Amino acid sequence: MTDTYDAIVVGAGHNGLTAATVLARRGKRVCVVEKSGQAGGMARTVDYAEGARGPEIAHLLYNLSPKVAKDIALRVETRKLPTIAMSPDGKHVEMAGDTLRFADGTAHPEAEAYAALRKRLVKFARLLGQLSDAPPPSLAEGLAGLRDIGGLARLGLNVKRLGKQDMREFLRIILSNAYDLLLDDLADGPVAGALAADAVRGCWSGPRGPGSVFTLLYRLGQGGDVLLPMRGMGAFETAAKDAGVEMRTRSTVASVMVEQDQVRGVTLDDGTILQAAAVLSSLAAPLTMQLAGARHFDIEATRRLQRMRAKGTTAKLNLVLSATPDMPGLSDAQKAARLIVAPSATHVESAFNPVKYGEASAAPVLEAVLPSLSDPSLCKDGRQVISVIAQFVPHAPDGGWTAAQRDDLSKRIIQTLEVHMPGLQDLITHSTLLTPDDIETLTGAPGGHWHHGELSIDQLLTVRPVNGLSRYSFGVRGYYLCGASAHPGGDVTGSPGRNAALQLLAEGVLS
Amino acid sequence: MGVASYDAIIVGAGHNGLTTGCYLAKAGLKTLIVEKNDWIGGAAVSRSLHDGWTYSNCSYVCSLLRREIVRDLELPRFGLQVIPYEGGATFTEDNDYFAYMSDHNALEREIARHSPRDVDAYARFSQTVMRQCRFIRPFLLRHAPDPTSLHPRDLGELAFLVKKAHGLGAKELGETIRFWTMSIGDFLDEHFESDLIKAHLAGSGIIGTGLGVYSPGTAYVLLHHYMGDVDGAIGAWGFARGGMGSISKALGMAFEEAGGEIRTGSGIDSFRVKDGKVVGVALENGDTFDAPIVASNMDIKRTFQRHVDPIHVPDDFTKAVNRFKIRGSSAKLNIALDRLPEFPAAPKDAPFLRGDLHCSTSLAELERGYDDWKDGRWSSEPYFDMLIPSQIDPTMAPPGKHMMTVFVQYAPYDLERGGVRSGQNWTDETRTALANCVYDKMEQAMPDIRQRIVHAEVRTPLDIENEVGLTEGNIFQGELTFDQLLFNRPVPGYSDYSTPVEGLFMVGSSSHPGGGVMAAPGANAAREILRRAGKGKSMPRFAA
Ligand SMILES: Cc1cc2nc3c(=O)[nH]c(=O)nc-3n(C[C@H](O)[C@H](O)[C@H](O)COP(=O)(O)OP(=O)(O)OC[C@H]3O[C@@H](n4cnc5c(N)ncnc54)[C@H](O)[C@@H]3O)c2cc1C
Ligand SMILES: Cc1cc2nc3c(=O)[nH]c(=O)nc-3n(C[C@H](O)[C@H](O)[C@H](O)COP(=O)(O)OP(=O)(O)OC[C@H]3O[C@@H](n4cnc5c(N)ncnc54)[C@H](O)[C@@H]3O)c2cc1C
Repeated sequence: MTDTYDAIVVGAGHNGLTAATVLARRGKRVCVVEKSGQAGGMARTVDYAEGARGPEIAHLLYNLSPKVAKDIALRVETRKLPTIAMSPDGKHVEMAGDTLRFADGTAHPEAEAYAALRKRLVKFARLLGQLSDAPPPSLAEGLAGLRDIGGLARLGLNVKRLGKQDMREFLRIILSNAYDLLLDDLADGPVAGALAADAVRGCWSGPRGPGSVFTLLYRLGQGGDVLLPMRGMGAFETAAKDAGVEMRTRSTVASVMVEQDQVRGVTLDDGTILQAAAVLSSLAAPLTMQLAGARHFDIEATRRLQRMRAKGTTAKLNLVLSATPDMPGLSDAQKAARLIVAPSATHVESAFNPVKYGEASAAPVLEAVLPSLSDPSLCKDGRQVISVIAQFVPHAPDGGWTAAQRDDLSKRIIQTLEVHMPGLQDLITHSTLLTPDDIETLTGAPGGHWHHGELSIDQLLTVRPVNGLSRYSFGVRGYYLCGASAHPGGDVTGSPGRNAALQLLAEGVLS
Repeated sequence: MGVASYDAIIVGAGHNGLTTGCYLAKAGLKTLIVEKNDWIGGAAVSRSLHDGWTYSNCSYVCSLLRREIVRDLELPRFGLQVIPYEGGATFTEDNDYFAYMSDHNALEREIARHSPRDVDAYARFSQTVMRQCRFIRPFLLRHAPDPTSLHPRDLGELAFLVKKAHGLGAKELGETIRFWTMSIGDFLDEHFESDLIKAHLAGSGIIGTGLGVYSPGTAYVLLHHYMGDVDGAIGAWGFARGGMGSISKALGMAFEEAGGEIRTGSGIDSFRVKDGKVVGVALENGDTFDAPIVASNMDIKRTFQRHVDPIHVPDDFTKAVNRFKIRGSSAKLNIALDRLPEFPAAPKDAPFLRGDLHCSTSLAELERGYDDWKDGRWSSEPYFDMLIPSQIDPTMAPPGKHMMTVFVQYAPYDLERGGVRSGQNWTDETRTALANCVYDKMEQAMPDIRQRIVHAEVRTPLDIENEVGLTEGNIFQGELTFDQLLFNRPVPGYSDYSTPVEGLFMVGSSSHPGGGVMAAPGANAAREILRRAGKGKSMPRFAA
């Protein structure tokens, strides 16, 4: 038996869900096919152990596009969290918006420099952020023919509006490295460390790598506020259901059917056929190509897709604790903040070194949060959960992950935390480690990569995922790429999903 | 006697200062060049430090030198002769090598010996690189447009850029963007499978930089080493007969023939500025000279941090100068050899031994070398680019003996010792330790190298700074990263060779298009100076 839809979305990550919702809210009959038993992809809330729940992979929102939220009627209650840059000497620093002060409330000598730097960065970031809500500019007519209103031309205009001084600064820093930029204005301590860590989180790059200013600006594109989604990341799924999207979980798409250069639907691994005139895939671009079959792509496109770089560097450690850990120097409220362990920008760079040779950092850089402190619905019995992103961890060391190596990595992460949370070890009742390899297994993201493909300048905008395939339409009529490997990239943004759906409608595939 | 006055004074007799000098003198300006050393040439210099041998102490091979300038200034008439060399090799630890040869068939066979699949890869690689070279070459002798300016000249240059880019077509434009922004390591990984071949080709992407083979932007640096030519053969390199100093010598003779005057032996103490305008220079020996036009061949940091009182420039400019990145990353060994060393792995008299020789065999090894440098150490397995020019140019060493030049990447300026990073940590002891580390690695190719050495000059980044005045020993007078290229070079808003001090210009490699023995910054700056002096027509337009 075959079912027929207007559009089928492969993968119920938040981008697949967004794309589906955008279409469904415009009256299209949409089915999302998801291999796992639970929607959300990298952004979902799971049971850590015995009813203690927490974010499985992604834990915070900072880059969600307001256009997406509006378009899909996303209802997500959030709580704004400050950031605490943990200092090895216990003098932790609180960063909240443009304000910088020591965690004990005393003035920080760099408060002014920090405020000025952050204002400057956010101004530039918002400019770039505007590019996220539309397809990337097209080069189809060469630079001179740039006519996309939503594209570079408008960016150019806005850049002009910045004024000469700011525009010069923008053009100077945009392709440069975060390390130099930060240390031009800040001492190399935990504040610079936290910003350097933000610049490269999820990337295969240290802060000294050119391009790391761009990735820092990328995450500040919506202003840089860090938000904890209350009751987890389920809002995208709710929005999809509200819009009437049909969900098929525990169904894996085996291939995408193509006839006469036109998409016809998908075949599931159990042989079921679902028909549709449009298919949107939220899988990484190379996998999206494979689903349809490489024969539908020209040899250059195939080669480019196969070469797309996606070396994951982030691991996740999810812990259940019997009680709130001690954190000397932090108030109870501050314990619920986003905690960054990155003693200096130099430290972040050094932590990156080993991953280049397939090894994990001896002293990993961490972003940790205890969501249950803000959101008691996650565990109701006094237990707490702590969600930790650890960098830099190779996708797989030579010969693959052994149990001993996994233990060792967990230990290193816990020891790094324990410096600031004495006694942590004794509170842990449950621990789950996800290496980049595990993340790939769970979600299909190549290399377990945060962005489904490196967010480096040579894989951005008009050349994301690859040169010639940047405008969502993917090789075959009716076939669209709607996940993080498309423009603008990863994070919980919803932008690739929304842009792809709108592009599909604009191209008249369903009319 | 009153103060001698000139129409123009140039501070520094590096090859760029000399080039500017030639054009100003030829336009009829009474021009003086002052140089702190007893010799001219800056980093393009030949010196004899051991009887009978001539060293190219700093730069050692020639390709970037703009053909248009060589011709226009008739440098061959002043003795300049560039002899191309061909080939090169990387030697492995297990007594093998990868040889680069200019004969196409021989090269294909050699590549196939290491990886049959890389034969095709090489064809694609060189096609891409050549295409990018052809794209960039026309920009070298033009000033970099300021995209924030609405000045017709800047708009004209932007239009030129857009026209060139437009000519590429959508696909190629996309590839160009990628090439300009990616790392040499990723670029090579995309093409080749043989580690050895990748390592052989990667060196050009990191020479002189503070970047590793996996740092974005290094593919572009590679271009800096391919966009030159010898007699029109794009990408070819050669030796200047008599060493790189022959280039400076020829420029110096051309300058003097045009009526210019050179004073060596005393450096400048300060640029004299009155009411925001430059009025002349004061030398360390107490001499002062007047001129309404003064050009600095020194890098921008040295110029403004040491020789211009900051009260004469806006704070923003001082800030931009202070943050200008000019980290040294290279050392140099110049070696007198009693005879040619043995290369047991190579066939006897193999022609590729006359080219550039290396011992780094993988990208990972190169990247680890960079990690060492970041931490303030020289690479424990250094990359080097070594040549024995006396095989081709017999003037460099006595008969039967040889001269070897070894460029070493990476060595920090602020060496780390006991937790402290400082240039002062370069002592005789650390200098010797660095040399020994390089010799150890050289033995991979030449087991008898230590026995062959008659004399060696070891130059750390600190030595390069002290002698040539290149701040921190940075060979390009400032790093070649995006934030310091094109309209950002040397600092945003001043890519037209001017400075906030009226009449003071920047003519060295700190300016667009940057470092290397290219003479382009010097010539471009001369054009700007003459244009402002109302003598724009006196300099020929070089065809784009
Ligand atoms: C460790 C880590 C932490 C992160 N933390 C944050 C954070 O705090 N904040 C933030 O904004 N971003 C974070 N990110 C990034 C962010 O989670 C991702 O960029 C984003 O969620 C990607 O969404 P997506 O919908 O494009 O793809 P995914 O979420 O990867 O969804 C793809 C979906 O496709 C499904 N699928 C795969 N193959 C098939 C198939 N053949 N058939 C059917 N279904 C299939 C998968 O099961 C999955 O559900 C993090 C990433 C990582 C790796
Ligand atoms: C070790 C090394 C190897 C290199 N190898 C190559 C190569 O093989 N090929 C290549 O193309 N490029 C090479 N380069 C780069 C190239 O040599 C330089 O970029 C180029 O020579 C710089 O020329 P310039 O005229 O801009 O400045 P410089 O050569 O730096 O000239 C500046 C001049 O100013 C003088 N000066 C400094 N302070 C004062 C003062 N206070 N008063 C008066 N005068 C002063 C200096 O003595 C010097 O003569 C190399 C550089 C180095 C250091």
